[in-house]
Amino acid sequence: MPVERALRIGVGGPVGSGKSSLIAALCGALADEIKLGVVTNDIYTTEDAEFLRATGVLPEERITAVQTGGCPHTAIRDDISANLEAVEELEAATGPLDLVFVESGGDNLTAIFSPALADVQIFVIDVAGGDDIPRKGGPGIARADLLVINKTDLAQYVGSDHVKMVREASERRGALPVAATSLRTDGAHKVAVWVRSQLADFRAHGHLHSSMEGVPDHHHDHVH
Amino acid sequence: MDPLTLLLADSRFPSGSYAHSLGLEQAVSDGLRDVPAFIRARQRLVAEADARFAVEASRGNVFEEEWYMRTPSPALRDAARRTGSQLLRAASAIWAVPVKKTPRPLALGIVAGAAGISAEDTALLALYDDAATVASAALKLLPLDPAVTARWLADLAPELARSATRIAADDGPLPAPAAVAIELNAPIHLEQRERLFAS
Repeated sequence: MPVERALRIGVGGPVGSGKSSLIAALCGALADEIKLGVVTNDIYTTEDAEFLRATGVLPEERITAVQTGGCPHTAIRDDISANLEAVEELEAATGPLDLVFVESGGDNLTAIFSPALADVQIFVIDVAGGDDIPRKGGPGIARADLLVINKTDLAQYVGSDHVKMVREASERRGALPVAATSLRTDGAHKVAVWVRSQLADFRAHGHLHSSMEGVPDHHHDHVH
Repeated sequence: MDPLTLLLADSRFPSGSYAHSLGLEQAVSDGLRDVPAFIRARQRLVAEADARFAVEASRGNVFEEEWYMRTPSPALRDAARRTGSQLLRAASAIWAVPVKKTPRPLALGIVAGAAGISAEDTALLALYDDAATVASAALKLLPLDPAVTARWLADLAPELARSATRIAADDGPLPAPAAVAIELNAPIHLEQRERLFAS
């Protein structure tokens, strides 16, 4: 099946877990090889869009913001019309793109993207939010195509066990991959590898399946 | 009542209006606290004319140029075109309607026509869409009991019903009221750095 639009990757997760930083790092890692755009869903400011513009990783016109009326989960799941329109307008204005990131406004653990908006989705949590989060689960933890556990560099300072977090997340997620990262110290290399493989699948098949490829932190002892 | 009218009136129908306050956010930031008065002002100065345009559009008379003439603010035109195309996008999964950037009241009329909804219900939908969007936005802008905002809409019900009957039967010239403050405040709202709503 030919694909004539960009791959759409949703990026969700709680406030402050590192969604914007992850997107900035991915843009930095991928912008030379992939034509990227970003739609941010800010909660009450345009801060996320401004942050991305300020990093200079993408031309300004490739970043656009959508207001969500204080309902970030509605905008990515229950009523995706504003986001769909923003993605289409971005592609129409900038010419064909390979990949558009849709960044959810920071939300709770139940937030998940509609498959009509995001072809695949990344859920970002961090060690400082508490290492019991993967055990608590929720749709983002259990079903996102990639779970990123960020800020592993902080684990020792906040009393979190990120190895346990990866293990418990993997138990919830079956075959779906988990990536432990420290964007601040190691960048987004692991996630960039996953993004490349998703884009390759999308181009080849016009559909996607989650792949463990390139995500070395996945805990392999889970029960199938 | 036709269940399809309920479907279109339901805020769970995905047509984008949850992200709009229809001018309330800027009005509240300028000091407005009497939201029911704002809702009534919008009914008189915006929604009743929009309802007439919706009824005409449901009969195939899509008066787009005429609607723009009555909405000089580019910010309001843009917001209405966005929520209009978002409504058409959702409706196109159900009825054979075009997905295009048409102002919300006209889009609502086009959808109502495709759904076979009566002229009176079409007018009522347009009036209620406006009032309920503002009432719902008020909950996020002011400390309010959600039951109170529901009561505002209930209090408005007799007026909505009377207006809808009158508008559905109106075959006179298209109305041309002017909500000058709402027109003038729309571009100011867009420049606010901290805002929840797209309009």
